[in-house]
Amino acid sequence: MKQRDDWHLTGDIEHESGRGDPFAAAIRATRMPMVITDPRLPDNPIVFANEAFQNLTGYGREEIIGRNCRFLQGPETDEGAVATLREAIAGENAVQIDILNYRKDGSKFWNALYLSPTRGVDGDVQFFFASQLDVTDRIEAQRQITEQKEIVEVEVQKRTLALKEALQAKTLLLHEVDHRVKNNLTMIGSLLRLQSRQIGDPAISSKLDAMLERVDALATVHRRLYQSDDITRFDVGAFTANLVADVIGASGRTDIKVDADVEELEIPSSKASALGLIINELVTNAVKHAFANGRSGTLHVFARAIDGRAILRISDDGLGMPKADTLVDGLGRTLVARLSRQVGGTTSWHGATSGTTVTIDLPAGG
Amino acid sequence: MGRRHTPLRFLVVEDEALLAMDLGMMIEDAGHHVVAEAGCLREVQGLDVGIAPDVAFVDLHLAEGSSGLDVCAHIKQNWGDAIIVFVTANPRKLRVDHPGAHGVIAKPFSRNGIMSALRYITEGICDPPPSASTPPDFTAFPALAATWKD
Repeated sequence: MKQRDDWHLTGDIEHESGRGDPFAAAIRATRMPMVITDPRLPDNPIVFANEAFQNLTGYGREEIIGRNCRFLQGPETDEGAVATLREAIAGENAVQIDILNYRKDGSKFWNALYLSPTRGVDGDVQFFFASQLDVTDRIEAQRQITEQKEIVEVEVQKRTLALKEALQAKTLLLHEVDHRVKNNLTMIGSLLRLQSRQIGDPAISSKLDAMLERVDALATVHRRLYQSDDITRFDVGAFTANLVADVIGASGRTDIKVDADVEELEIPSSKASALGLIINELVTNAVKHAFANGRSGTLHVFARAIDGRAILRISDDGLGMPKADTLVDGLGRTLVARLSRQVGGTTSWHGATSGTTVTIDLPAGG
Repeated sequence: MGRRHTPLRFLVVEDEALLAMDLGMMIEDAGHHVVAEAGCLREVQGLDVGIAPDVAFVDLHLAEGSSGLDVCAHIKQNWGDAIIVFVTANPRKLRVDHPGAHGVIAKPFSRNGIMSALRYITEGICDPPPSASTPPDFTAFPALAATWKD
């Protein structure tokens, strides 16, 4: 029965009574704002509010007692939250909810409200007990995080869009430049060919033809670049095989065999033009000089990446190199030397009476 | 079709004057004849049917906004035996089974590339199949090899 007496004492709280009751004393003194309402009175008024509740809301006890809790609500209080509370009270259920409330001075605070019914021995609800917690800081922090996230997301979207547009513009520009370079290279080649036919002097004509082949080599480099999927890399192995087949095919020299040991050999496309010119000099030189005067033979072509270096080797079993300087015309030799240095590589010549071997060695990356 | 003999008769359809001249001269250098040149579809349609070209080099983008594909259709209708080779900067726009097309040479072309392709095409027409493998600058469509079986 003692238990029941205690319960009765606690349930029958009057503001001036309860002294000496340990439960009532605890509720009065706790830092947790708390109220008790009586649903058996009209409009379920507050019958008890502790000190902490008064401090939280700024209302005095006389302003609180006898009023329904809704006096804490204000214009920005969520209707949905209010409805949830109303349903819980009507259904005599416990509820936990964050709700925007207003202090006496009109300032807002987020209230983490916990409401639960207190039942008597007969099981009927005698009181509602409500505890409050000011969680404005937490809600505000969450709101700020959400807001920041939204701002960042909008910024990211804007930036992504801008980058996509820039990429599209750049791709369009690149294709347009490609198109013009292609047209111009084709026209330069055609102009040189047309001029070459008008020259009677075989010495000048052959120099012009050599120049024409250089322009053609550049055109081939460019064509292979724009036709490849990755415009930053250039397969110099395939290019060399292509050039050798073209030069020998066009010469009609069926007596020159090609022995190609060529793998995919990628170098940065920034080095493609220089390397294309070097290979053109070496290949055309071999066909013109090593196999001159109808001498037949085999042209060996080797292209492979070895230990991060691009190795290209062109060797013939033709007339050989009696004197280093005489085989290639002056400009050709200079071009090979200077362009090799430009691409960060070396070109070495090994002449023998039975043919010439030229090795190009450059870094495959960077 | 009966075997044909060199010199072969060429039709060059190219709106860029320099390229048309250049192609024409390389064809002549290879020992053939250019029987007609045209820069657009209208000019091709105006050609005498009697020119009977063996080979047509056709650019894809022609003057007056006309298309090499329409020129190809016209050639196929009028000179059904002609080998049609596109010479274009946009080889990827072509289907390998495009009706009437036998192959494509990509621009920018080189003298060596054109001469190799000419040699290959000539052998294919006069003495098939060609002795050399397909030149790197020339893409042969299945229709070309089909003519060798005749």
